[in-house]
Amino acid sequence: MNRIIRYSQPINGSLFPLFSARRACAGYDAADRVLESAFADFGAFASEPRFPVDLYEDKENAYVRAALPGVARDDINVEIANGQLSLSASRKNGEETVKFSRSVALPEGAQADKVNATYENGMLTVTLPKQPEVQPRKINLSVN
Amino acid sequence: MSLFNQIVPTLTRSFTRRDQSNGTVPQAEYTLKPAYELKENTDAWTLVVQLPGVAREGLEFTAEDNQVTLRAQRAWKRPDGWTALHRESVDAPYELVLEHEQNVDVEKIQAELKEGVLRVTLPKSEALKPRKIAVN
Repeated sequence: MNRIIRYSQPINGSLFPLFSARRACAGYDAADRVLESAFADFGAFASEPRFPVDLYEDKENAYVRAALPGVARDDINVEIANGQLSLSASRKNGEETVKFSRSVALPEGAQADKVNATYENGMLTVTLPKQPEVQPRKINLSVN
Repeated sequence: MSLFNQIVPTLTRSFTRRDQSNGTVPQAEYTLKPAYELKENTDAWTLVVQLPGVAREGLEFTAEDNQVTLRAQRAWKRPDGWTALHRESVDAPYELVLEHEQNVDVEKIQAELKEGVLRVTLPKSEALKPRKIAVN
């Protein structure tokens, strides 16, 4: 793999457990499914501080997409410090305020000052431009 | 009174296979049950569904005699040239089916989608509301 961008895995403890469980085991039995569905029904809001994050890249940029439905734009914070991209958000759920946060290791060569974030349909997209690749140097050898 | 006696969540809907015979080869489609919350007061049920990535065009909310059905497609498609490095979400459409005992006033259902959160008000039919009876 000669990928220029390298991500470390997001913090494991904050993965959305239901998603990973569902994707990991395709052949779980009916009892598991009922149990899981029951948890999804009753515990969905309780387990919400973990929000799922997707990482993409293309030639020019790296992208982080986070599912943060129903959050006001002002309550979303995107910060870069110590090579980490930190996403945090808060949502008022009735009386109480729920806070979420995730951190993603910045890809090498990301230009921290040119980061751009958009929020649409409850999805946050952070665009991290890559450093323009260093042009390969051509060395002319004069052969005697 | 428990609201689960009246609006019963279907337990096995997540990632159910549905056969779509819209061509020569039937294709299996997986759906994802979204996170939702259901509240009850004397006049109505309030359903709040988390639908990140869904725009109004992709949302389909159907009310029938004994159930309400929600189908939602994500508005965003991965552009060409984007490589996924790490995925925690799925692209499957959302599907939520809630059954009720014909005690929802279907005509007066109101729904609002805002930043990936759908709020639906399901008013109770008149017969179910508490009624004061004058005693002579």
